[in-house]
Amino acid sequence: MIHDALLILWDCSQIKTTGRENNGIAYAGQGDAEIFARINIIAQNHHRIQCFVEGNGFQARKTKTASGLKMCGLYSQALSEGISEVLQSYKKTLMEVESLVIGNHNYTLSFVYSYVEGFQGLFHTLNKIITTIEERKRFGCQILSLLHQYILTGDQKVHDAILRVFAYINKVFVNQLCTWLLYGELMDPYHEFFVVSQGHDISDTYLSTPSTTTCDKSLVSTLQETTLESGYILNANMIPYFVPLSLAQEILFIGRTVILFGVDPKKMKKNNSIVLNRTLMPLQKCGIDSRRFTIWEDKEAQFHEKLQKLKSPEVFEVCNLRRVIREIKQCVTKHLWTVAVEEAQLIHELKLMKDFYLLGRGELFLELLRLTAHMLDKPTARTSTRDMNHAFQLATRAVFLSNNADIEKFSFELPYVKPNVSGNSSFNDDSSTVFDGWSSIILKYDFKWPLHLLFTPEVLARYNDMFRLLLRIKKTQHDLHLLWKTYKQSTSFSMCQLHNKLMFLMDNLQHYLQADVLETNFSRLMDAVNRTNDFEKLKKAHANFLADILSQSFLTVTSSAESDYSGDTADSLNNPVFCNIMDLLKLCHSFCSLNEAVTDKEAEDYYIKGYSDRFNTLVKQLMQLLVSLRDRPCGVYLARLLMRLDYNRWLSGEAQLTQSVTNMLRY
Amino acid sequence: MPSEMITLQLGQCGNQIGFEFWKQLCIEHGISPEGILEEYASAGSDRKDVFFYQADDDHYIPRAVLLDLEPRVIHTIMNSPYAKLYNPENVYLSKHGGGAGNNWASGYAQGEKLNEEVFDIINREADGSDNLEGFVLCHSIAGGTGSGMGSYILEHLSDRFPKKLVQTYSVFPNLDEISDVVVQPYNSLLTLKRLTESADCVMVLDNTALNRIASDRLHIQNPSFAQINTLVSTIMSASTATLRYPSYMNNDLISLVAPLIPTPRLHFLMTGYTPLTADHELNTAPKIRKTTVLDVMQRLLQPKNMMVSLSPDRTNQHCYISILNIIQGEVDPSQVHKSLQRIRERKLASFIPWGPASIQVALSRRSPYVHASHKVSGLLLANHTNISSLFDRCLQQFDKLRKREAFLEVFRKEPMFKESLEEFDESRGVVDDLVQEYQAAATPDYVHWNPESNQI
Repeated sequence: MIHDALLILWDCSQIKTTGRENNGIAYAGQGDAEIFARINIIAQNHHRIQCFVEGNGFQARKTKTASGLKMCGLYSQALSEGISEVLQSYKKTLMEVESLVIGNHNYTLSFVYSYVEGFQGLFHTLNKIITTIEERKRFGCQILSLLHQYILTGDQKVHDAILRVFAYINKVFVNQLCTWLLYGELMDPYHEFFVVSQGHDISDTYLSTPSTTTCDKSLVSTLQETTLESGYILNANMIPYFVPLSLAQEILFIGRTVILFGVDPKKMKKNNSIVLNRTLMPLQKCGIDSRRFTIWEDKEAQFHEKLQKLKSPEVFEVCNLRRVIREIKQCVTKHLWTVAVEEAQLIHELKLMKDFYLLGRGELFLELLRLTAHMLDKPTARTSTRDMNHAFQLATRAVFLSNNADIEKFSFELPYVKPNVSGNSSFNDDSSTVFDGWSSIILKYDFKWPLHLLFTPEVLARYNDMFRLLLRIKKTQHDLHLLWKTYKQSTSFSMCQLHNKLMFLMDNLQHYLQADVLETNFSRLMDAVNRTNDFEKLKKAHANFLADILSQSFLTVTSSAESDYSGDTADSLNNPVFCNIMDLLKLCHSFCSLNEAVTDKEAEDYYIKGYSDRFNTLVKQLMQLLVSLRDRPCGVYLARLLMRLDYNRWLSGEAQLTQSVTNMLRY
Repeated sequence: MPSEMITLQLGQCGNQIGFEFWKQLCIEHGISPEGILEEYASAGSDRKDVFFYQADDDHYIPRAVLLDLEPRVIHTIMNSPYAKLYNPENVYLSKHGGGAGNNWASGYAQGEKLNEEVFDIINREADGSDNLEGFVLCHSIAGGTGSGMGSYILEHLSDRFPKKLVQTYSVFPNLDEISDVVVQPYNSLLTLKRLTESADCVMVLDNTALNRIASDRLHIQNPSFAQINTLVSTIMSASTATLRYPSYMNNDLISLVAPLIPTPRLHFLMTGYTPLTADHELNTAPKIRKTTVLDVMQRLLQPKNMMVSLSPDRTNQHCYISILNIIQGEVDPSQVHKSLQRIRERKLASFIPWGPASIQVALSRRSPYVHASHKVSGLLLANHTNISSLFDRCLQQFDKLRKREAFLEVFRKEPMFKESLEEFDESRGVVDDLVQEYQAAATPDYVHWNPESNQI
């Protein structure tokens, strides 16, 4: 009888079943049936635990992996190991009881029960955990999270046991964390960590980098988002509840950065497959660049030790974890600063961006325009890109920049678009103008590693938007200037005045963009850069800079959300100010091409009237836009532009505006 | 190299200010008096090639042509440390060396006689540049060579190089003191006609104002030519700063000039510069003055800093046609907008009522090789209608002499005036028209100006 009980408790299932069936068993005492039932319950609980331990142990994992089952992993293995360790005391107790029972046949069933009774609570808790894991299909870090929740319990025994189990799982977690933080490697064959490589299809929704917490992505955050080519992201479901999102992001950032130092993306493109598969082959060291091991200098051991200390559950507190992470992050950002700002000369590169994308080298682009204006007027041809780059080289030679190493970083591309075959396009069909060089030219920039952190494709695309606008204005301004001498010698006074008005407009637009927008914001950026030595802050400052110049150049609509111009950053064409400026540019352009055509006085008057009317309408429109845009940031900048244009209040007087607009023009 | 400029220096005054100008450019670009780039300047990103070109042995040669009819000034230059700087082929002295005797007609006639040789030099120099933008002519309008020969060259430059810009730095005589050149009013008026008709842009350097600034602002009792010429070279170097340093705007002369000159004939520009310090003051009493963009821009609008002395505008009818400020130094760019706004609010400058006008501000770099005593300095280039008062004074002085038929014999000796003195009356007419056009430009009706009848 007692041996029956012991066997059941020892979890020999066949006896357990027989014990159940033999209900009519003879009990020694009266209450024995009751006690046996209780023992049975404990045994059953133990059995379930034992099943789980066996089902998730090392051997089981091996066979399951071989057969391709998903529900297994290091964490559940650690859990089962932890549990079996906890069960050791239970087994020791049983053995003790057994030896006592063998030594003295007088012991009753209740004697046995008294020994095992104490384990009831523990078994109960463990079973609850197991149930949760099985029913909700918890795995990986979720198990860690779950265990952590059970640590806080009133029962001291349970608390100690759970803590021990937790230590096992925590070891796995800390090991994974450690390799991720220090080496950027995911030792995670079962995708149990909360950082996952994007290449793997996990059906859960991802948390993409920073900005998802703020519901609408502003332009700044879009520009800040760097698609790291390592392609690691957070798996929100896996983040343990006690790790705040910000901390998880920091962890992600550190690992990504470490990877970044290890791989030069340009080299990596060739062996891209290796990168993707690397997580499956944790033993394969990507020894392409020893640089990533220099991040830590001599601190690697120190950090390693600190992280290893976290394995002990007493130390593993969120605040401790956070402290270590912060320390590591500081080290990483410092190194990033050294590499990006000091070695890759980021500040110099930023100045180059201004010199080239923002036409800071005016004389170079003036020369380039002289050489290529005729080409860019036409739709792009197959050879355009080559011709453009050739002209660029000539221009750099002309301004004695050709032996400057920085020049080689820049090149042009004129994407060739096959003209629409059906398009014997009618005159007012816009499609023919869309593909001319001015609207499609791309300035390409070959920057040093690791500046792709800053100059993402999105950022470069926005820089190109600026570049195209500035180039176009510069070209128009230059064309108008070229006509100056002609009109100076001509006798037509009214033509001369019209020319002067257009020229005034372009000059001041140029001054506004270059001085009020670009110079001002750039000096602000440089101030910010000089003030910080945190790469992340620098990145933010740069994103702010770009966003500011774009919105102040009316290339974006910085939305006040409800309006119909919702903040779609890509769509630049819906900014009414920008449309107006483009119309003015078109007007100037057509005025410049007109020059030769006019011969007789009558035609001249006709043209002058046409152009003057159009000019007046557009300028009036521009001023009226101020009213509708007044409560948007865009309106402030429009006011600045108009202050320059209407400096002597002539344009506003001429436009005969309503009182409200005139009042607003007082700024 | 795009946008090259060729400098023509004519006569005593022209060569003197030209000499100072080149001296200044050499210092600013780190070029030694022999034309060799100083070691400390080898990494500079400045654009030396607008005004210099490199010889085979890499030394820098100014794109300058030195012309004179008498040898004194050119000899001084050729005995100075800068003698080796210039291309000796570009230095032309008339063989007889007798000068023009302060006679416009003589200078003009000699210009005509020597035109083959002179234009050979100019053509050769023009061929030596890839994309010549224009000429800078330095001369005085009062003497003989600068005014007379200058007039001849001006007329023919626009014939030979119709597409090139012609900018002149023209020194106007000091009207406060009695000149030793009695025929000065004749010379001035005859030159003014050519400046009106043939030049694209005239930078008026008024000796009256320059002397006043030297004594009032710089506290020099009897300013020497050299001291005055330093003022001039400061202005000349500052006004070409945006051409000589890479910047985002105003990279060629036309982009400086075109916005300033909206109508064909009103192309006489005034200049102003602040802050000015004289060498002797630098050492003795260094005045520490705070300079900000607003400060500089406001001071530039004050008449006392103007390098042209205008008659006081009592009826307050005159106004600016256009203004361009070139600000050099350590500038916070956001200050520019604020300063513009402030000036507009306080109505510190009144503008034409017939068209758009504004203060354009170009930020330019400063030479790293020159110690600047102030954080910010600024040059003003302005087109102001009151400049007509200067021409009006020229007219009055001319009329005084003409009425008495004084000193006309020296002119009658020259072929141009042998037959008649028509040229005088014609020139007077042109300058008179100019004065009237400037006056009209201060009124709203200027829109309907008819250049042919010279009336509204």
